[in-house]
Amino acid sequence: MIRMILLSVAVGLGLGAKSEAQSVDLGARVAAAVEGHIVPGYARFAQSARELSDVAKDQCVPSDDGLQTAFHLAFDDWVQVSHLRFGPSEADNRAFALAFWPDTRGKTPKALAGLIAKKAPAGLDVEEMMQQSIAAQGFYALEFLLFDPQIMMMGEASYRCALVRNLAEGIAIRAEAIHLEWADGYGAAMMSPAEEGPYRTAEEAAGELVKAVATGLQFTDEARLARPLGTFEKPRPKRAEARRSGRSLRHVVLSLEATGDLAVILAGETSAGQRVATGFATALSNAEIEDPVFAGVADPIGRLKVESLQQYVYGLREEAVGELVDLLGVSIGFNALDGD
Amino acid sequence: MATRRRFLAGVLAAGLMPIRGWASVGNPKYLSAARRPKGGYVLVGLRGDGALAFEVDLPARGHAAAAHPERAEAVAFARRPGTYAVVLDCSDGTVLARLEAPQGRHFYGHGTFSRDGRRLFTTENDFDGAAGVIGVWDAANGYRRLGEFASGGIGPHEIVHVPELELFAVANGGIQTHPETGREKLNLRTMRPNLTYVDGEGSVAQRVQLPDEWRLNSVRHLSVGPRGQVAFAMQWQGDAWDAPVLLGLHVLRQAPVFCEAPEAPHLAMKGYAGSVAYCGSKNWVAISSPRGGFVQRFDSASGRFLGAVGAADVCGINGSRGGMIATTGTGLVIGIEDRISARHPLSFDNHLIAL
Repeated sequence: MIRMILLSVAVGLGLGAKSEAQSVDLGARVAAAVEGHIVPGYARFAQSARELSDVAKDQCVPSDDGLQTAFHLAFDDWVQVSHLRFGPSEADNRAFALAFWPDTRGKTPKALAGLIAKKAPAGLDVEEMMQQSIAAQGFYALEFLLFDPQIMMMGEASYRCALVRNLAEGIAIRAEAIHLEWADGYGAAMMSPAEEGPYRTAEEAAGELVKAVATGLQFTDEARLARPLGTFEKPRPKRAEARRSGRSLRHVVLSLEATGDLAVILAGETSAGQRVATGFATALSNAEIEDPVFAGVADPIGRLKVESLQQYVYGLREEAVGELVDLLGVSIGFNALDGD
Repeated sequence: MATRRRFLAGVLAAGLMPIRGWASVGNPKYLSAARRPKGGYVLVGLRGDGALAFEVDLPARGHAAAAHPERAEAVAFARRPGTYAVVLDCSDGTVLARLEAPQGRHFYGHGTFSRDGRRLFTTENDFDGAAGVIGVWDAANGYRRLGEFASGGIGPHEIVHVPELELFAVANGGIQTHPETGREKLNLRTMRPNLTYVDGEGSVAQRVQLPDEWRLNSVRHLSVGPRGQVAFAMQWQGDAWDAPVLLGLHVLRQAPVFCEAPEAPHLAMKGYAGSVAYCGSKNWVAISSPRGGFVQRFDSASGRFLGAVGAADVCGINGSRGGMIATTGTGLVIGIEDRISARHPLSFDNHLIAL
């Protein structure tokens, strides 16, 4: 199921890298990323999110195979665009409402339990449900309803069924809205910078995309991997992302593939691009571990594998992002990175 | 050059030089440190409409500046852990004096003048003693070091003068660092930030501590509002998604009021406020997050969230006549609730200082 986008791109590059081009056509790199990575990614997500909502309308029982499959497919497609945190994903707090995680205070199960216990009318209406706390919405809330042994048995089945349907529909509405905005103006604005647009220069647009690579890798390092790892004395396997649906490692892999795809597109056919592709491929090969929810972090051998994977992701944050910054000559945050 | 500088410092000290006011350097309303696109650092003056009033070279990357209340004279501080600050004549960039942190001290990047402009106060690290100090300099006599006093905590970052109180407010960030380990944070397990009010001699009037569960919330930046209210902005040292409130409003001898945006916009700040400032009328106060790319506004009387404005790499903010002006690392000068818009081939550094 896992798409090996990155490796096919990397192989496709061949050995014909040009000499380290100082004259990178930034506009072309941004256009390639918008047309070859962002818009298709959101198109896939909008489609699978709509399919999830359609399936849920038909079948809302958590154990249903069709519903679970639709959930996994839509979640996969979200994770593959989840590093693109700018523009349409941030309007109306869409991304926050799609993906409320990490949830260190347990807000999601608390909010869901509250709704279910009170049979709150808001849960019976899509529009109202979309106005609720972001902790009670999106994929991570839906995961509780479909996979958490307590939440999925709580209260009345008919109410939970309505919640499943309305959460799925909220995901579909937001996914379609993001895709529509990208296809209907934001993508063009990114490819044609203008004084009055969201990006005034190709450098700014390319900088946003390099930042997306950096942000995606940072989240994988600091949240997806560091949280379950905890410390050697106190490993925290229960903090693994989406462990109830068995997706923790899968998110790391999907996100590495997606950020790698974007990074390789941005680098283009350069020797830097080859090094970036190799870096991602190496990290991905270290993600071939048989521990889907990082349960092994409490065991010395199992832990070593996850730590090693984290080291490779950290390496990408330094090296691949550094290669892109140097190659494209962009800034990814004069103040943001200063931190004082 | 060195002889000229010494000469200038000498005549200044003797009070022989005609005083050149801010009007003589293009009437700037603000100061900011910045980087030129091809490298090289400058201190610039900005007019109320965002246009450049002057531009003078800096020896290295700056952080914040302190403006003399009357003379067109600015102290530009190196970014942490710098040991230099330069006093510039903003009319021609002449270095009027050079402040060297004493042995065992480095600057934190902020400072402020006394109201009469005779003294300069700088936040400094006594790094072997792991203590924060405030350096006192004689601005009336060539910036001679007069002495120092305890800042009331570790890691003092910004210091501001509160005229209504005749006191200084100091943001003791709580984070211990040592120049040998750069910006590495050495005491996250025990850090305790605070806001301390001191007089010009170092007597503590009040020390405001945060609740225990917020002890990782480093108090870094300050702004003075109506009737002696002090706004303090914080930077969370834990995971960004765990960050509590980032802005507090405090009046001496009262309990602080904390201001937090709703869930999603709060998360969008990424646990980090880079600057804090009141708007021109002081009716609202704002914090900026370059990491999140937002400026958030809060009512200064009630603390209520009023909304957010997005701008990439935004950090410098300060009050303007109609509202607020903001600067970004991408060279923009923009109005928040105010019609200001300019663009310069510069990366504006963290702070925008009002004159």
